[in-house]
Amino acid sequence: MTIIHTPTPLLRPSRRRFLKTSGGALAATLAMPHIARAQDNVLYINSWGGPWLDAAKANLFDPFTAETGIRIEVVSPVSFAKLAAQVQTGIYEFDVTTLGGGELLRANEAGIIEALDEPYPGGLFENGVGSHSFATVMAWRTDTVPGTPQSWADFWDVEKFPGGRSLQRYAARVLPLALLAEGVPMDQLYPLDIDRAFASLDRIKDHITVWWTAGAQSTQLLRDGEVDMIGIWHGRYYEAEAAGAPVAMTWNQGQQERAYWVVAKDTPNMDAAKLFVEFATSAKPLAGFTSQADYGPLNAAAMEFVTEEDAARMPTSEVNYPQTFEQDMLNFGGDIAEVTERFEEWVAT
Amino acid sequence: MASLSKLAERSNLWPWLLLLPLAGYMAIFFVIPLADVAIMSVTEPKPSLANYEKVLTGALYQKVFLNTFLTAALVTVCCLLVGFPLAYLMSVSTPRVAMLILLLVTMSFWTSFLVRTYAWMVLLGNNGPAIWAMGMLGIENPPRLLFTRFSSTLAMVHMLAPYMIMNIYSVMKKIDPALVRSAESLGARGGSLLRHVYLPLTAPGIANGSVLVFVICLGFYVTPVLLGSPREQMIAGLIGHQIEEFLNFGLGSAMAMILLAVTLAILAVYHRRFGLDKLWG
Repeated sequence: MTIIHTPTPLLRPSRRRFLKTSGGALAATLAMPHIARAQDNVLYINSWGGPWLDAAKANLFDPFTAETGIRIEVVSPVSFAKLAAQVQTGIYEFDVTTLGGGELLRANEAGIIEALDEPYPGGLFENGVGSHSFATVMAWRTDTVPGTPQSWADFWDVEKFPGGRSLQRYAARVLPLALLAEGVPMDQLYPLDIDRAFASLDRIKDHITVWWTAGAQSTQLLRDGEVDMIGIWHGRYYEAEAAGAPVAMTWNQGQQERAYWVVAKDTPNMDAAKLFVEFATSAKPLAGFTSQADYGPLNAAAMEFVTEEDAARMPTSEVNYPQTFEQDMLNFGGDIAEVTERFEEWVAT
Repeated sequence: MASLSKLAERSNLWPWLLLLPLAGYMAIFFVIPLADVAIMSVTEPKPSLANYEKVLTGALYQKVFLNTFLTAALVTVCCLLVGFPLAYLMSVSTPRVAMLILLLVTMSFWTSFLVRTYAWMVLLGNNGPAIWAMGMLGIENPPRLLFTRFSSTLAMVHMLAPYMIMNIYSVMKKIDPALVRSAESLGARGGSLLRHVYLPLTAPGIANGSVLVFVICLGFYVTPVLLGSPREQMIAGLIGHQIEEFLNFGLGSAMAMILLAVTLAILAVYHRRFGLDKLWG
């Protein structure tokens, strides 16, 4: 007796076929890519991209991998909201990220970063390890701006220096600049007189063409000549200069800020993360990183390995540092969340 | 198994069973996250309706909501003004020309939003072709085009016009040319032909396209953020900013829920009149 095997139509599967296909589908869904599970040899680090990433790869990531065997995966973009969401949901996209002063305070208060040990004297602040400093400086197009602006008062002076301007849409950075434009001396800035700062901002409001939000955007605005004067991070300025644009900047009245490495709270790759933070802020790697990216190293031991030529482009050099002021988040002059909200409403009206 | 499938066939259950995987997928990846957002809007930072109160009474949020609706309405009207003549042109030209125009429209449609936004940034920039053309025409001090309401509205019209065009065109194609000819034979010309014959016949297409464009424009994120200024920001940009800058998941969720409610209300009105299944032609 021959067994005739009739093919089963798609819509009326045999039990065997049904079990096979559903089992296959289940297996496929379980084979999803891992998201920062505790693995021995991978660390996920948040990256700013651009020149930051190039310098970090060459001086921090690759040497770290060579020394410890831990591979580093880069995750973009840097997102403060994601850092908070990670802790809430327990699903980690990255273990390590960098934060500025203002965000560091908020992050530590919100309990979303891990407690760290001090890797070098003076290096620990609110559970962030100080890596490097960067400055917000004034830059302008030499082809459209007549003369040489020297200070933020010149930035505010639309008669003497007409043209479109741009500032970062970030209250903590912009308010001190507004006070400097009013003539407040650099050493008497903090605590900030918030109302006076907003009154000063009202004077320049109509001349701000764009409130930039991303680093690459500020470079593009300056490089393409969309605005004539801009308050920009010094590293991004060098990027525009390197691209051949006719631009110039001044260190005078630049606003220094510190960048801190932080580790996401309860991340599965905790040990590797702490190891990395210690490595990245040690003298030699930090010196290499900051030299390439033009930042100022916060670990004094790193200055030993920095050439004079590179030091001249750093905000912490002996020539540049005295011209600048340090952002002070502890003595700001108001509740930073409230001030930021007020700034947002001001920008939108 | 055989008896189960026979039972399913007889009681007309098969269509529903076939829908089960899709329903499951939608439940996991759409319904549950949406419910999560709704819950967040009333529980973050603590359980209360404070977020909704803030959004519905705060000056900034009212302004942004109003601006969003006005911009969406403006974009819809502009899309109509651009789309109707183009769709008409497509419907009366030879099949080859119609195919060519359709190709241009759909290629624009398939290009990513982000790419088109950046293209507009280049076109309208200070050193771009638009300013150069104005210089050629002898305009001394050309007004700034980029980062204004003009640039963001223009780009949005460009991006949403294909929806309008394709909706109107599909309706126009079905209009019997004999109707137009008989109207002409009764003495109708130009304006009255349009008003009494053509517009009523294309009304479903216009309504379709308008609702689609309006609803999509309400939630537009990339273009107003990159091409517009914060003074004319739209609701999606504000939601994104609230969450990124302030970590205010509750407030962002509340705004998103209100936007969703308004969108559903519009679609409900449309459904009453035309039926939601008509929306995709």
